[in-house]
Amino acid sequence: MAFFFHILISGIATGAIYSLIAVGYSITFTTMRILNFALGMWVMIGGMLTLTLHVTLGLNLLITAAIIAAAMAVLGYAAERISVYPFFRTGSDAWVMSTLAVGFLFVNVAELIWGQSPKPVPPFFGSGVIMLGGIAIFPQHLLVIGSALGIFVLLYFFYYRTLLGKAFRATAHSSEVTSLMGIDTRLICILSYVMTSVLAGIAGLIVVPITLAEPQMGTVLGLKAFAIAIIAGLNAPRGILVCGLAYGAIEALLSGYFYTGIRDILGFSLMILVLFLRPEGLFGTAAKERA
Amino acid sequence: MKKWTRLTTTALFASLAALAGVPGASADDIKIGYSGALTGPVAFLGLDIRRGAEMAIDAVNAKGGVKGKKLVLVVRDDEHNPVKTVANHRELVEREKVVAMLGTTNSAAMLATAPIINDELKVPILCPATDATKITENKAWEDKRDNYIFRIGMYGRGQANFLINSLVEKFGYKNVALLTWTAGWGVTGRGELNRRLKELGMKAVADETYDTSDTDMTPQVLKLKGAGAQVVVNYGLVRENSFVTRTKQKLGDSTPYASAWGIAAPAFWKAAGPSAEGVLTSTTITVDGPQSPERKAVLAEYAKRYNKTLDAPFGFFAAYDIVHLLKVVMERDGTKPAAIRAGLENVPEFKGLITHFKRPVFTKDRHDALTEDDMILGRWTDGKLLQVHYDGKGPHVILDSNQKKYINTKTLALN
Repeated sequence: MAFFFHILISGIATGAIYSLIAVGYSITFTTMRILNFALGMWVMIGGMLTLTLHVTLGLNLLITAAIIAAAMAVLGYAAERISVYPFFRTGSDAWVMSTLAVGFLFVNVAELIWGQSPKPVPPFFGSGVIMLGGIAIFPQHLLVIGSALGIFVLLYFFYYRTLLGKAFRATAHSSEVTSLMGIDTRLICILSYVMTSVLAGIAGLIVVPITLAEPQMGTVLGLKAFAIAIIAGLNAPRGILVCGLAYGAIEALLSGYFYTGIRDILGFSLMILVLFLRPEGLFGTAAKERA
Repeated sequence: MKKWTRLTTTALFASLAALAGVPGASADDIKIGYSGALTGPVAFLGLDIRRGAEMAIDAVNAKGGVKGKKLVLVVRDDEHNPVKTVANHRELVEREKVVAMLGTTNSAAMLATAPIINDELKVPILCPATDATKITENKAWEDKRDNYIFRIGMYGRGQANFLINSLVEKFGYKNVALLTWTAGWGVTGRGELNRRLKELGMKAVADETYDTSDTDMTPQVLKLKGAGAQVVVNYGLVRENSFVTRTKQKLGDSTPYASAWGIAAPAFWKAAGPSAEGVLTSTTITVDGPQSPERKAVLAEYAKRYNKTLDAPFGFFAAYDIVHLLKVVMERDGTKPAAIRAGLENVPEFKGLITHFKRPVFTKDRHDALTEDDMILGRWTDGKLLQVHYDGKGPHVILDSNQKKYINTKTLALN
C-alpha cells in the first residue's frame, strides 16, 4: 500500500504543477478568446527571477514574490500591447505566433543572463523529508499542492465575489454588451493578460525548487499544462484543477504499475479523444458561435 | 529613439564582424574550423571545446606554429541544430578553406553531416564529444573508403561495454537494472546497455525510462528497488539525473546508481547537491584528484584566462589534444586535407593530456582514439568526481588528502 500512496502523492504533486500553469491559459481565454501560448516560458522567468532575487541577492520570499509580481505585471502589460492587441484588434490570428515569439525571446534572453546549466533553488522549507503515515514527501511538494488549491479558491472568490471579477465574466459572456453597460472591456482584457502573467511568475517561484532554474524549465511543463487545459476545458478553472491533479496522479500510477513509456501515449490519446467527443473539454461549457 | 537605433546598428555590426571570421587572419595562416553549440542547452560543452581549441592553438603558435605558419580557429555557432551544423561545415570548407575541423556537440548533427564530409567536403573532422558509434563507423568505414571522421572521446558501444563490465566484473553486481531517458541519446544508450548485458548472458531485472517533463522519479525508483536491482544504470543528462538522486534521497533508497558520461561534469553536483554523493559515472577524464603536471599547468592557465572553472573537462581536453595531434600530423605530412586524413591514421604514439597513446592513435579500421581501456569510472565524492581504482580489496577512490577509501558495493558509500 505504501507503494501506491508514495506514487499517488508524488503524482498529485506533479499534477499540481500542471494545474498551477494550466489555469493561466484559462484567464485570458475567457475574456479575450486568446491564449498566451508561451505561458511555460513566463513561468520560467518567474523561476529565474527567484534564483537571482532569493538565492543570489538573499531577499526574503515575500519581497521576492512582490518584485516578481510587479515585474511580471509590467512585462504582461507590455507583451499585451505589443504582441496581442495589434492582432486582437484586427481579428487576426497572428497572436498565436506572436505570443510564442515572446516566449522564445524570453528563453534566449534568459540563456544570455543566467546561462544554460540548471541551477538549484533550495526548497523553501529545507531539503528534509516529511513522513506522513509512512509516506515520504518533500515539503515543497506539499507547498505546490497547497498553492494550487489556494490559487483556485482565490480565483473563484475573484470571479464570483468581486465586481471586477464579475466584469471579467461579463466580458467573457459578451464583450459587446458588456461595453454597452459602461465597462471598459479593453481594460478588462489588459488586466486579464497582466493577471495571467503575474500568476505565471508566482507559479515559477513556487515550482522552481522542484524543477531547477534553467531557461528550458517551463517549455515542456507549459505544453503538458496546455494539454490539461484543453482536456478540462479552457473556460473551466475548477475543471483544470481537477484534471491537472488527476492527470499527474494517473501518469504516476501508470508508470508505477505498467511502464513509464506508456504515459504520454495515453495522456495525449486522452486529449485527442476528449477533443473528439467533447471539443469544449470535460468541464467546459460550449462556446456559443458568434456570427 | 535615435540613440537606440545607433546602439542596435553598432551591435549589429559588431556581431557581423564577429561572425565574419578571424580578425587579422592572413592568407598564409592554417585555418582550423569548428562549428558547435555556443548557445542553447549544451552551450557549456560547445564553449569549453572552443576554449580547448583556442588555448591549444595559442600554445602551438607561441612555439612557432606549424613550420612557421600560424594556426587560426574559425568558429561558427550551430545552436544545437543539425541543419545549421551541416551548413556551417559546408561554409567552413568551401568559403573559409579550413584544412581540418573539430566536431560538433550533438550526435544527431554529426550523423547528419558525416556523409557530406566523407562524400563531398573531404576535410578531416575530429570529434571531441559526440558518442554515437555510427559517427566513426559510418558508410565510408563500412565500404572501406577514405573515412574523414575521427574521434577522441566516448563512443556508445565502448562506453556501454566499459560501464557494464566495470559493474559486473569489478563491483560484482548480478542484478542490473536500467533507467534511461526517452530522448535520442538515452534511447541509443538503452539499446547499447541491453546489448552488452545480453552478450554477457544477463538480462536487465528492470528497464525503466523517464522523460524531460519528469521532475519526481518516485514510481521509477520504487519499481527498480522492487525488482531487486543491485545497481541501476542510467543514460541521461544532468537535470533529470538530479531529480533521480533527489527522489532516491527522499525515499531513503541506497541502491547503487551508475551513469554514462552525461553527468560527468561539475554541473551535476551543482544541480543535485549532496544527493549525488556516491553516484558513479563513466567518463574519459576527471580533473579532480591527483593530476599530472602538464594538466595542472593547463588548468591553471584556463582559470587565469577565463576566470572560471571547467564546465566540460572531457570536451575541453579532447579539443586541446585534437589541435596538438593535428600539429604533429601537419608538420610531418603538410596541410592538404587528404594528407592530414591519411596522416592521422599513421601516428604511432602521441602524448596527449587525456591519455598517453602508446599505440597508434588511429588506424585505418579504428577511428576512435579512446578505447574501452582508456575510459575511467568516477565516483561523485563531496563535489568532486574522483577516479575509481581497484586492488585486491576492491574498488576505491583516493581523496585529496591522499587517503585511500574503499567503496561499499552495497550502497556505494565510503568505508
